[in-house]
Amino acid sequence: MVVSATVFGVLGFQSLAIAQDNPLDGRSQDSTVTLTPTEIGLIKSFGPWPMPIPPDPGNELSGLAWAEALGRQLFHDTDLSGGRDLSCASCHVSEFGLAENLKTSKGAKQHVRNSQSLLNAGLQHWFGWDGGADSLWAASLRPMLSDIEMNADIPVVAKRYRAKPVIKQSLAHYTDIDELSDEAFVVLLSKAIAAHTRTLVSGITPFDRYRQALLDNDKDSQANYPDAAKRGLKIFMGEANCHVCHFGADFSNGEFHDTGRPFFTDVGQIDSGRYSGIKRVRQDPYNLLGRYNGTQQDTERRKTQTVKLGQGNFGQWRTPSLRNLALTAPYTHDGSLPTLRSVVDAYADIDPARLHSQGESLLKPLDLDDAAREDLVQFLESLSETVSD
Amino acid sequence: MIRLHCAVFISFTLSLLASVGSSSAWAQSTLPIADAHIHYSHDSVENTPPERVIELMRGANLKFALVSSSDDNGTQKLSELAPDLIVPGLRPYRRRGEVSTWFTDEAALEYVEKLLTTNHYASLGEFHLYGETADLPIPRRIVELAAKHNLVLHAHSDADAVERLLAQNPTVKVLWAHSGFDTPADIASMLDKHDRLWADLAFRSEVGRGGKLSDEWLSLFTQFPTRMMLGTDTYTPERMYFLPEHAETARVWLATLPAELAENIAWKNAFDLLMPHWQANKPQAQTSTIPATLIDEPTANQCGVSDDPSNYVVSSEPTLVIQPLSTIAVSEPFSVMMTICDTDLTGMKLELNATMPAHGHGMNYTPELTVVEHSDERMKVQVDGLVLHMPGNWNWVVNLRSPSTDTTLSFDFNIQ
Repeated sequence: MVVSATVFGVLGFQSLAIAQDNPLDGRSQDSTVTLTPTEIGLIKSFGPWPMPIPPDPGNELSGLAWAEALGRQLFHDTDLSGGRDLSCASCHVSEFGLAENLKTSKGAKQHVRNSQSLLNAGLQHWFGWDGGADSLWAASLRPMLSDIEMNADIPVVAKRYRAKPVIKQSLAHYTDIDELSDEAFVVLLSKAIAAHTRTLVSGITPFDRYRQALLDNDKDSQANYPDAAKRGLKIFMGEANCHVCHFGADFSNGEFHDTGRPFFTDVGQIDSGRYSGIKRVRQDPYNLLGRYNGTQQDTERRKTQTVKLGQGNFGQWRTPSLRNLALTAPYTHDGSLPTLRSVVDAYADIDPARLHSQGESLLKPLDLDDAAREDLVQFLESLSETVSD
Repeated sequence: MIRLHCAVFISFTLSLLASVGSSSAWAQSTLPIADAHIHYSHDSVENTPPERVIELMRGANLKFALVSSSDDNGTQKLSELAPDLIVPGLRPYRRRGEVSTWFTDEAALEYVEKLLTTNHYASLGEFHLYGETADLPIPRRIVELAAKHNLVLHAHSDADAVERLLAQNPTVKVLWAHSGFDTPADIASMLDKHDRLWADLAFRSEVGRGGKLSDEWLSLFTQFPTRMMLGTDTYTPERMYFLPEHAETARVWLATLPAELAENIAWKNAFDLLMPHWQANKPQAQTSTIPATLIDEPTANQCGVSDDPSNYVVSSEPTLVIQPLSTIAVSEPFSVMMTICDTDLTGMKLELNATMPAHGHGMNYTPELTVVEHSDERMKVQVDGLVLHMPGNWNWVVNLRSPSTDTTLSFDFNIQ
């Protein structure tokens, strides 16, 4: 698995990939799995990859090489935690796709949520399972200050990092940290972390190569993509309707949905997901409406100003990207699904009574036999980088 | 001011309304809520103890809740735990997942008919029914049962199915779940057309979003001030925990309405629709073997109590007389003497309590009982420290406990 520290400018080659896209017909298909023109069009929409990562909203350090380098150091630094025992990398482990292999994370206290992958996080609009942060830098600051996660506070972090010559030196050309308040200083550190996080982009996958082979009408390369994955891809785009929310090159619409997953955390306790996330982001002093928004662009602020809070948000969770998901087990907000097969089963056997829909529901039980479910798993696994990559 | 009488339900409602203030600020901070759309189904029972559900309801300051569950077990559990708070409804579902099969499932009908012979309800529903399926034999039988058992139909239906249900019986009432997810204009059209139709606002996030009502919803509420009511719809176990949030969110937009209209939607419309059915259908004294009737007449020297117009006979078999010993006024401590005769008094103990069923609370104090006479012919118990701290309808409960039997007498009492 490759975690590439990609800066924004380097991603310009994406336009080349787009230029290579050509209209296709059935001639580019292999002999055992037939794709319709509609399906080929959908496959085209799942790329190209990688894609340009927009600047982190409100983050004046976003895209600056020195800030990305500083952020990388901070990402691995345990001095950001109250007990000096946890860093960002403690729960976002490279080996596990910048997530971790635990059901739910354990920071200073036991968390009720599964660690989300930070790969491609820069493509998101909201951050965290509940979207409780509206920028990567706010999402970087929150764990530091959470008594469940890193359990630090602003004065402690500021005191520690003001004492580090390397920090003062890194920022010397940008600002005099002695003139910053503790809060402004720590926010700046979080923005450097976010500048680094934004560069964490996953690599090319077997699916990407298959897609490109389809575009290039390269039948030999198409044949390298397993038929089982092709059949799973057809289910993904067809009766399972996965692509409606998991769409685009990142396989995520970046929004929030109730997929019928339970959200009890203990007897008599729940985690209400997006509902609390919206309330949290509205109250967050570090949201894009606040004083620490470093760019103050109306277009960046609008989502936070206009996001609606409604009953339907209760128990919604952010649609995760599917890229590199083979590395990030277990799955869902509470890590309650241990394998990709269990994820497929959960969707295929969904309980409609848990979904309050009027009229036709996008999510409904699927009549998938065991082989079809395994095909879907094969496709999902092909969205991850492999050792040979 | 003393006025102890056999309260009529409607008079209670009106008297309480007259007693409340009219400021929106009051409404926002304390406005009680009636929730007309609660489910406590089998998976919810597994996840949340009934005591916790009641705690959530009381924490949300619910006046009462219409509860229907898949299966009915959850409703019964809550009802047993808080009979003052729960108005039971019966839905034709034994498990989740029967929403689209029940109307052709004879077993679902048998389930309903069986429970109607043993339990007590105010409504039949919530059930899911669309279009012409409302005219299938099983839904038709459900309408017949509603009419026979004095039950309100709670229908998660489109307008077509609602009209078909109403057409099947000239008296049956329908509570339209989610207001059919129709637009305010279409809801208004239906309410205008059918005077036996009410509508709940369960899972209608757009109503009062951001604390404000749109002109369309405001117009609907103004046009039909007595027909709309609130509901949460706890369609998953987790949604039970949304109850307080739902009530609090509703209070915000209700506070933008005139106080009387806010109260109507908050609880009174649900109260006026459901309570007459529930009062008529519920067991009148759930543990009583004796009809509990407050005879609003002078005691006529019964049980040796003097013939005084301020004394009242609660029951004639056995004879129980309540004799106020001091003025009964709101929030003022008072005392009564209970006298019982014409029954075996060996080992008899008396208890007296009072609750406001519609408010979900009782007295704030525990009355002190003193036995002043206990002979074979008569028992007299003085009760001190009674305080009725709100005007309105109170329910008195007298428990007669003897070694051989326990009897409960229950009667309504209105104080202004």
